[in-house]
Amino acid sequence: MERTNSHESFYASSLIEASLDPLITINADGMITDMNEALVNITGISREKLTGSSFFGYFTEQQLASDICREVFAKGLVTNSPLTFCDTDGKLTDVLFNGSVYKDDKEDVLGAVLVARDIAEQKWVIELQIANNELAFQNEEKEKRAAELSIANKELVFQNNEKEKRAEELSIANKELAFQNKEKEKRETANKELEAASDSLKLASQYSLSLIEASRDPLFTISPAGKITDMNEATVKVTGVTRGKLFGTDFINYFTDPIQAREGYQQVFEKGFIVDYPLTIMDGKLTDVLCNGSVYKDDRGNVLGVVLVARDITEQKRIETELTEAIVIAELATGIAEEAKLKAENATRLAENAVKAKQQFLSNMSHEIRTPMNAIIGFTKVLLKTDLNAKQKEYLHAIKMSGDALIVLINDILDLAKVDAGKMTFEQTPFKMSLSLSAMLHLFETKIQEKNLELVKVYDDKIPEVLVGDPVRLHQIILNLVSNAVKFTTKGKITVAVCLLSEDEESATIEFAVKDTGIGIPETKINNIFENFQQATSSTSRLYGGTGLGLAIVRQLVKAQGGSIQVKSIVDEGSTFSFILSFLKTKAEAEVEARVEELDTEAKNIKVLVAEDIALNQLLMRTLLDDFGFECDIATNGKVAVEKLETNAYDIVLMDLQMPEMNGFEATDYIRKNLKLTIPIIALTADVTTVDLEKCKAVGMNDYIAKPIDERLLYSKIIEYVKKSVFAPGNKMIEDNPCAKIRCIDLDYLTRRTKSNPALMMEMISLYLEQTPPLISAMKKGLQDKDWASLYAAVHKMIPSFSIVGISIDFENMAKRVQEYASTRQQSDGIPNLVLQIENVCLQACEELKEEFNTIKNSGK
Amino acid sequence: MKDEKKIKLFLVDDDALYLKSLEIEFLGHADFAIETFVTGELCIEFLSNNPDVVILDYLLDGIDKNAMNGIETLDKIKAFNPEIPVVMLSSQDKIEVAVDCMHHKATDYVVKSETAFLRLQKIITSIFRYKKMEKELSWYMEKM
Repeated sequence: MERTNSHESFYASSLIEASLDPLITINADGMITDMNEALVNITGISREKLTGSSFFGYFTEQQLASDICREVFAKGLVTNSPLTFCDTDGKLTDVLFNGSVYKDDKEDVLGAVLVARDIAEQKWVIELQIANNELAFQNEEKEKRAAELSIANKELVFQNNEKEKRAEELSIANKELAFQNKEKEKRETANKELEAASDSLKLASQYSLSLIEASRDPLFTISPAGKITDMNEATVKVTGVTRGKLFGTDFINYFTDPIQAREGYQQVFEKGFIVDYPLTIMDGKLTDVLCNGSVYKDDRGNVLGVVLVARDITEQKRIETELTEAIVIAELATGIAEEAKLKAENATRLAENAVKAKQQFLSNMSHEIRTPMNAIIGFTKVLLKTDLNAKQKEYLHAIKMSGDALIVLINDILDLAKVDAGKMTFEQTPFKMSLSLSAMLHLFETKIQEKNLELVKVYDDKIPEVLVGDPVRLHQIILNLVSNAVKFTTKGKITVAVCLLSEDEESATIEFAVKDTGIGIPETKINNIFENFQQATSSTSRLYGGTGLGLAIVRQLVKAQGGSIQVKSIVDEGSTFSFILSFLKTKAEAEVEARVEELDTEAKNIKVLVAEDIALNQLLMRTLLDDFGFECDIATNGKVAVEKLETNAYDIVLMDLQMPEMNGFEATDYIRKNLKLTIPIIALTADVTTVDLEKCKAVGMNDYIAKPIDERLLYSKIIEYVKKSVFAPGNKMIEDNPCAKIRCIDLDYLTRRTKSNPALMMEMISLYLEQTPPLISAMKKGLQDKDWASLYAAVHKMIPSFSIVGISIDFENMAKRVQEYASTRQQSDGIPNLVLQIENVCLQACEELKEEFNTIKNSGK
Repeated sequence: MKDEKKIKLFLVDDDALYLKSLEIEFLGHADFAIETFVTGELCIEFLSNNPDVVILDYLLDGIDKNAMNGIETLDKIKAFNPEIPVVMLSSQDKIEVAVDCMHHKATDYVVKSETAFLRLQKIITSIFRYKKMEKELSWYMEKM
């Protein structure tokens, strides 16, 4: 290591020695401690001399040198400090010193190393350098100038540049401007476009707005809070609140039912829509609306509010209400109509009751009067057959006449009642018009003579001798008119004229006129004289008497026969009553009493049972029957009659209707049902009202004779029935069914329904004939098998047919009872009998309908 | 051609006589086109002829136990077209029967009696008046 170190320091010192630059080490005092060969050369002093000598002594400027030393030690180094060596020869060597301190291991400064570079050559260089420097300076100056110039130039260039820049900038600005202009232009167009777009948008929105406004349906937009945010004109109109006032107010305030209104828009918010939500807008007139609504949203789908369109359904409602009203009114009208109908029905019932009461009254009255009259006239007639002198005969005739007149009056009253009730019937019998009229007029001869009047008869010879009609009613009409004429005429004449107006093969139309020269009728009263109980003046009845019924009856009778009556009158000069009637012509002989005489001889030994409670009438009947040569037995009431019938045999029964104990109806019923007798029964009745007649037929009487009894009628009827019952071929067949003799069907209903259309009639009848027998067997089978349901069904189906073919309501009721029994299964004992009766009547109906069918069929040919 | 304007009536009754008399009455009172059927089955079969009104007897199975009864027929008619008005006709004046008919949507119930025809006439008239009203109402509704 040592070797290496020494080798290294040798190497370093050799390097130092080799260096051409003088190298000196000095201590802090400036004493030279070492040096190299170069220094020796430069100073020209030997090494030994140099070592330890002061360093500064070798320089021309010693002070400067010591300063450098101090500087080294102070600063640690110096660089290029210029000094000038002064060698022994006086030769000066300019050097530049670079020095630095060197330290031991402990960092203590040992000394400084100074290296001096010989700049003798360098000095020249330096001078050169200086010159150069000068030159450089000059150059520099020049350069400076040039630089300045160039700077100026540069400045200029810069300025130029600046200018250019400016210019550029300007141009850019220009460009910019231009661009901006362009932009502006663009923008303007864009603006225009925008404007146009916004215009069109505006237009569009205006259009839709106007559409909305124009809508007649009120439209609301509502915020989620329920405030109105917008509306259209219709809303303003319907609510009657201005736009301004509507804004921001609560939607629900405008409806009669705010809760419902709230529910309505809440529903919209919940569901997004509502359809036909009914509300009523609270305005002056409460407009009913159906609301349709939906939510509306912004771009992002947020719900902004609700649009509600309220459709005014007032008109709809109005129509609806009108319809309902119409329906209600219609219903009301129906109600009213039904009420009216009920009222009318009630009124009809009342009227019917009144008519019935009247009939009852008249029937009672006539009964009360007829009964004694019966005796008076009857006995008068009986008396007239005895030997009498002329005077007695005359008086008896007078009595009879009066009685007859009274009976006529009673009959008048009854007739009127009948006509009023629509029950008046007219016979169609052949009669000799001429004879019949003169016989009737004969009645007035005495009266006319009494009053010193003249009766003129004018009879048209062209009138056929025998005509078919009701001579009794014709008499009644003329009798009434003539008696009026006689009554109101004090002097002059009464003319009865009968003229043939027209004639064809079938009928003759005849005008009857009764003319008087009496007091006449004031024109004002002419219309009233045909009313019931009316005379021309109220004083008339006092002066002339009379009931005032005559003309009323006349008019009714003429009308009922299809004729018409006219009256012409001049006060104080007289009146003319005329009427026109048509009569059928016939070739048959007129029925006259001659026939009765014929029968007289045939019928003897007829046993008659008379049931009559009034002794007087018993006597009369006995007298009459004795006269006829019949055997007569009297029963004082129905019960006695029944008893007698049980024990004795009679040919015919004459049955008074009103008797104590058992009346005529009860007795007849008993005879038919219990005794099962088919003996002819003729009712004797003073009640010739229809009610009684129907009752008579219903209980099974064959006929009736009205009191007071006309002996000829009585005779002929007795003969008729006795003969019938003797010769009746079906006697045994109908033994069990006494009613069978009475026709059970009545085609009235069918005729009316079919309007007499024979084809339809036949169709209906054949349907009945086809349908009924299976029903009868079904009914019987049902009864036999105790199959109540079948029985019920069969009878049920039969029921409607009864009224169609006109079978009595009694049978319908029977059928209904059977039906009832069949459904309840009670009282089954009664059923067989009822079923039998129904069967019989249906079978009979079938028989009768077959006949009818053939009749229609034949008449059709 | 004429028939199109006429009101078409179906009359159904197993009582041929009554059926005929009804037909005669209807023909006599107004210009109806009438078809008559003696059983419910026949009526149903011809429903395609589109009757305006059906007048139907209640008791159609009285004699023939297997026949379709009135109520069944009524149901079938209503199933075919519920708009066809059906007036029930019966000889029974029983409230249960009437109520039963009404429950099966019969338009009305008429008891066979003297006044039955009048009632039927009135009912038919009111059916058509009602129909007209309904039509008017729906026309107004549509216009709104």
